[in-house]
Amino acid sequence: MSELALRVRGLKKQYPNVLAVAGVDLDVRRGEVFGLLGPNGAGKTTTLEMIEGLINPDSGEMEILGLNWKQDGSEIRARIGVQLQSTSLFNKITPREALTLYGGYYPKARTASELLELVQLTDKADAYHITLSGGQMQRLALAMALVNDPELVFLDEPTTGLDPQARQSLWEVVRKIKSEGRTVILTTHYMDEAEALCDRLAIMDHGQVLTEGTPAELISQLAIPSVVELSFEGRAPATEGFEALLGNTIEVRGDLWEIPTPDPKSLLPRLLEAAEKARIPYQQVHVRRATLEDVFLHKTGHSLRD
Amino acid sequence: MAQFFLVVNMLLWRQFLMEWKLYSRDRAAMFWTFAFPILMLLGFGVIFRGGDAPKLSVVWVQPTQMAPKDDALLKTLEQFPTRLIALPPNEAETRWSKGETAVQVESTSDGFRMKVNSYLVAQGQMTAQIVQQAFLISQSRLQGQPLPKLIPVSMESPGHAKAANYAAFLLPGLLGMNLMSMGLFAVGMVNVSYREKGKFRRLAVTPLPKWIFLMGQVMHRLTVTLIQTIFLLIVGRLVFGIENQGSYFLLSVVMVVGTACFMAMGFALSSFADTSETYAAISNLLFFPMMFLSGVYFTLDSAPKWLQQAVIALPLSPFLKALRAVYNDGAALTSHIIGLGIVLTWTALCFGLAVKRFRWA
Repeated sequence: MSELALRVRGLKKQYPNVLAVAGVDLDVRRGEVFGLLGPNGAGKTTTLEMIEGLINPDSGEMEILGLNWKQDGSEIRARIGVQLQSTSLFNKITPREALTLYGGYYPKARTASELLELVQLTDKADAYHITLSGGQMQRLALAMALVNDPELVFLDEPTTGLDPQARQSLWEVVRKIKSEGRTVILTTHYMDEAEALCDRLAIMDHGQVLTEGTPAELISQLAIPSVVELSFEGRAPATEGFEALLGNTIEVRGDLWEIPTPDPKSLLPRLLEAAEKARIPYQQVHVRRATLEDVFLHKTGHSLRD
Repeated sequence: MAQFFLVVNMLLWRQFLMEWKLYSRDRAAMFWTFAFPILMLLGFGVIFRGGDAPKLSVVWVQPTQMAPKDDALLKTLEQFPTRLIALPPNEAETRWSKGETAVQVESTSDGFRMKVNSYLVAQGQMTAQIVQQAFLISQSRLQGQPLPKLIPVSMESPGHAKAANYAAFLLPGLLGMNLMSMGLFAVGMVNVSYREKGKFRRLAVTPLPKWIFLMGQVMHRLTVTLIQTIFLLIVGRLVFGIENQGSYFLLSVVMVVGTACFMAMGFALSSFADTSETYAAISNLLFFPMMFLSGVYFTLDSAPKWLQQAVIALPLSPFLKALRAVYNDGAALTSHIIGLGIVLTWTALCFGLAVKRFRWA
């Protein structure tokens, strides 16, 4: 058995007005949670749907669980689980019925009650689909992606549009799926989600993978693993003059000054002294580790939310 | 191989049962699907029941003084199937201006004056003809001449069948309507919305052969149509005493040809629309002309020749002609071979288009 759950080389997709995916290479190991992180329109979903067999790539090679779409289509379908960005079901089907129905499409299937328990929907098992909340619908969609006991699970933006509590409970399920030994590939545009769930991730922008690695690796690739923040009441003042006084570059973001530094310990006393001297009206000082957000900003030159 | 068929049959059967289960949960939709054709038959069948047709009403403007010619006309009118509403001039005028009067007759010094409401022209012209006849008879009466003879009129169906009422004409029309709305709406519209909402995409990532899903859906629609047909035939028989005058085999042949045609049309049409809104516009463009111009509710004998010829090129009209030939007249299909050929041509055309263009996403 191949050690890789997924191997992709040179995947490309051209749409009439845009090169959606511009040559993507990916290696996903068995048993890991792999994230595709990037803003809307980065090509994450197109990449995922080519791997799932929904979109024909213009060029590129794919090996899914050691199989390829040309020869082993039905076997791949039987062994992967897919949660699309939105899952549309009949309004008046119940979660139990939906799971039983879809389970019947596969040679082997897990029972509806087992899956309902896994995604904590047991008490909604016999309610009509239309009466479920957004979070419950997403959990049902996730359970449907697990109905065939898949080795490889694809989740396309599983938590988009959910409230924080619903996101947390979905993260729990993803962790359970991983602990059952399955490989998970998910897309997200949430940094915290990628950091919380993914063993490894690829950062995508404009149809390309910019960088790839574990969250810790990606952050440590940055020369500046820490950031000192000064917060102000209202908009932060301009930094001219003070930058020269301090001898560090300062980025102004909203009501913050952000000062990236490899060594916060030696920066802090200098910073406080200089701020005192220059009568900078800051409110608070905060030191934080660099995050994936900083990695993204560094790699793409723009923030995820732009 | 045997195993393969067993699995396919089981999947198909399960899909079919699921379609029915979910369909039966939408009570209102299901109720109207079955009740609408029956209510149409009951409603129009009763309104236009043969024999006791409602009398045509004539407003008679009361003159200040009744002349002998007036008496003679009113007396003669009583023998015709008309209802006389005698009103003083001001009330007659009010009724006229409200648009309720179809025909108004008024006595003048040298005869009569009659006006016909241009909004109610069909009913008005017929009534006016009757008043003209009554006038001629009353003239002869006054002058003591022999009365002109009228041609006796009887109402019969074109095929000399025993049931001669409107319900017998309407019932095959409604069977055709059912098929058309099944194809264009229950098949075509549903496919567009499944594609639009991504239901097909969700299925595409499972190993279920997609044709099994479509086949389950088609089987469900076929059983719905079969039930509608049986309901209509039973209500026609129990309430109006009308029944199939021809062979049930030929009736089934015509129904199967029509079902295939409208189902293929739904599939083909669905491939031309990306959204439900677009589909609604396209399908209505076909549905309404066919419904009004193909003889579902009335014949088009008085329509312009070019229209009749244009309409025969659409499948519903020749289908209904063949269906009525069997159901109403008990005829063989030999004289409808060209018509059924038109329907089959549409079927082949739509089927080809559907196979070529049908999209899952």
